Amino acid sequence: MATVLSLLHISRSFPGVRALDDVSLDVERGTIHALVGSNGAGKSTLMKILSGALAPDEGSMLFDDAPYAPADPSAAIRAGVSTIYQELNLLPTRTVTANICIGKERSRFGLIDERWQRERAAQALDRLDAASIPLHATVGDLKVGQKQVVEIAKALISECKLLIMDEPTAALNDTETNLLFRIIRDLKGQGVTILYVSHRLKEIFALADVVSVLRDGKLVLTAPVAQVTPDGLIHAMTGRRIESAFPERNKTIGNEVLRVERLSSPGVFEDVHLSVHGGEVVALTGLAGSGKVELGKALIGDWPIESGQVFLNGALFKPSPSKAMAARFGYMPEDRKKEGVLEELPVQRNISLPSLSRLADALGLIRFDRERDLVEQKIRELDIKTPSLKQLVRNLSGGNQQKVALAKWLATGPELLLLIEPTQGIDVAVKFEIYRLIHALSSEGKAIILISSEIAEMLGLAHRIAVLFNGRVQAVLDGERASEEEILRHTFGQVKEKAYETQ
Amino acid sequence: MQSTGKDSRRRVLEVLGENGFIFIFILWVIFLSLTTDTFLKSQNIFTVLRQAAIVSIVAIGEMLVMLLGGMDISLAALLGFSGIVSVSLMVDYNVHPVLAGLAAIAVGGTVGFINGFLVTKVRINAVIATLGTSYVLSGMALAYTQGKTIVGPQLQQIAFLSRGYVGPIPVPVLLMFIFYGAFYIILMKTVFGAHIYAVGNNDKASWLAGIKVDRLKMLVFTLAGLLAGFAGILQASRQGSATSSMGSEFLFPILTAVILGGISLSGGRGKLQNTLLAAIFLMTITNGMVLLGISLYVQGIISGLILIIALSLDRLRYQGR
Repeated sequence: MATVLSLLHISRSFPGVRALDDVSLDVERGTIHALVGSNGAGKSTLMKILSGALAPDEGSMLFDDAPYAPADPSAAIRAGVSTIYQELNLLPTRTVTANICIGKERSRFGLIDERWQRERAAQALDRLDAASIPLHATVGDLKVGQKQVVEIAKALISECKLLIMDEPTAALNDTETNLLFRIIRDLKGQGVTILYVSHRLKEIFALADVVSVLRDGKLVLTAPVAQVTPDGLIHAMTGRRIESAFPERNKTIGNEVLRVERLSSPGVFEDVHLSVHGGEVVALTGLAGSGKVELGKALIGDWPIESGQVFLNGALFKPSPSKAMAARFGYMPEDRKKEGVLEELPVQRNISLPSLSRLADALGLIRFDRERDLVEQKIRELDIKTPSLKQLVRNLSGGNQQKVALAKWLATGPELLLLIEPTQGIDVAVKFEIYRLIHALSSEGKAIILISSEIAEMLGLAHRIAVLFNGRVQAVLDGERASEEEILRHTFGQVKEKAYETQ
Repeated sequence: MQSTGKDSRRRVLEVLGENGFIFIFILWVIFLSLTTDTFLKSQNIFTVLRQAAIVSIVAIGEMLVMLLGGMDISLAALLGFSGIVSVSLMVDYNVHPVLAGLAAIAVGGTVGFINGFLVTKVRINAVIATLGTSYVLSGMALAYTQGKTIVGPQLQQIAFLSRGYVGPIPVPVLLMFIFYGAFYIILMKTVFGAHIYAVGNNDKASWLAGIKVDRLKMLVFTLAGLLAGFAGILQASRQGSATSSMGSEFLFPILTAVILGGISLSGGRGKLQNTLLAAIFLMTITNGMVLLGISLYVQGIISGLILIIALSLDRLRYQGR
């Protein structure tokens, strides 16, 4: 096999960080090459360099046997390197055709040649075996999985030889993931090389031929997937052995903190009952679209409630973020960047924000010494890696941003914490730190609602697991006795059929 | 090391970009002090500051609104209308100047509150909503004055606001510094100020962090209105009269001062002291051209060019990244 892409001693620094340090790497033509690494390991910097969004400080690249130094993303695409970012780059109000052909439009007599575009778009979708996606549909109306396919079609139009995919399955369910894998394998069969960036070890073993590991900006491992083990990969990513066992659940359960009665938002979730006690971790799960995330949002007032009631410590609670804060109810949203942190503000202000009123004196002046003390304490407790309190949160790695989103609530001394997908998109090491934190909080008597789609973390942490299907609570399982299979069965609403079979 | 070279270049660009207009401001001041004998005289400096006073006080309110990611187009018209209200009360109804002044401020606050209500509760885009109130206010000014100038001896009672001195310092200049001092503390040291920056940065995340975002926005629009109302009295004192078109000349200087001062149009970032410097800079541009004897007919071209250069430096910051 021939090498399609070579990186030679690539380095790139940002103020205070050496994001890539002398990275040399060969990618073979027609392979699926996985790139893994913790947050902050340099994956995104490397992707940006390959896609022309960033220039390396040192080093050079060869692509298709020619020197490769794209001046900007469009130069990279012209050379045959297309990148699909996690946040897809589609125009939601335009049609599938317009999205696929963007930048490749052909015009006749100054007018866009619609027919030619439709044909090209149809061909591209055909190659992906996805002719079922209507060309005239508005992209905003498509499902996430279909949008991903449109992105890939867009890359095919520009005759891409190397397709870089960044966490492509992050927003997909299992069926969509399998479909995507089939497409990726097809592309490989057609001679396209795939650079597959992911956190999910399972996927790498299912899909990739070769895997490379980045750690702290250095390439620490490149090997055929057949020759590595999951443990070996984790070890390479983190540089240490991870304590991957869950501690034993907290045994002392206190009073009821949250009670939800007949909560409904028609068409999304209906007639939900739920009860959470101090010291207890209650997990809520279900498929995408089961209503689990909306239910969580409704509890904080970020989703309309049609009927039903919520009680906090026995008192009626009308959900709103400011009332929740007053009631010592903390909330970590799913979308960290848009809702969890203020990216352009420093770490300090991010963590202290919900506590500011408490940190001010009688005149409303913030006591900066108290603010600093509080923030420093939380940074220590959560082991947040930041060069200083003044660092903008935008510059932190994803895992550390997540810790900041959590720290700001811990700083308020909450009695109830609602966490939505707290470990989504963060690396293994930080994941387990967050698990240990959740465990420690429940041991201190805090009530925790964990909305998650990761079965392993629910089985490891939760006292009870409530499974939603089509907006209704399908089952509430004992977290210590439940099995993965049982959860999945309820998740897909399969329980009644199963009962029927056994009779 | 190539990389450290790039780092330091990036940092220079960032510092320059962050304060781009200050750099041009300093060059302009040096140029004027070398080419004219009058520019650095304390009398001229106070003239510049006095001219900057009204614009810069209204610019505080505009700056707060823009920190939230909004924009208030109505402040100049509001300044004019409040000025008319206070003058008319004094001249036509012989109301005590203090009460007339309070009435002008109250009018400012009320209209500001209405702006805030339209933006947060009716959910109209801030530019559109305040454009609407701006039309209504200019219309009311015209309807009320019937196009006539209101003038009378009663206005002597407020003349000290524009012509008085405290020691060597003109009253409007003193007021300007007092307002800036107070709002600097409010922005940098109070919970309210911290919440303004947070909401401007990301209102959804701030709302989820328990901040009452709508209430904060209404409060900021109201504050901007109060300041415009107060500035209306200052302008009435300066003109010694009230006219229907009063205040309209301030619209662009207010917005220019805030934008030149480096407030990001998307909100959440910017320094109050830079707004003040930018307002003063604007005044030195006109002042300098007068001192240099440049024809009134080409002054507009030169001010425009100086502004474009200063704003171009501001863009360097983003390219430096």
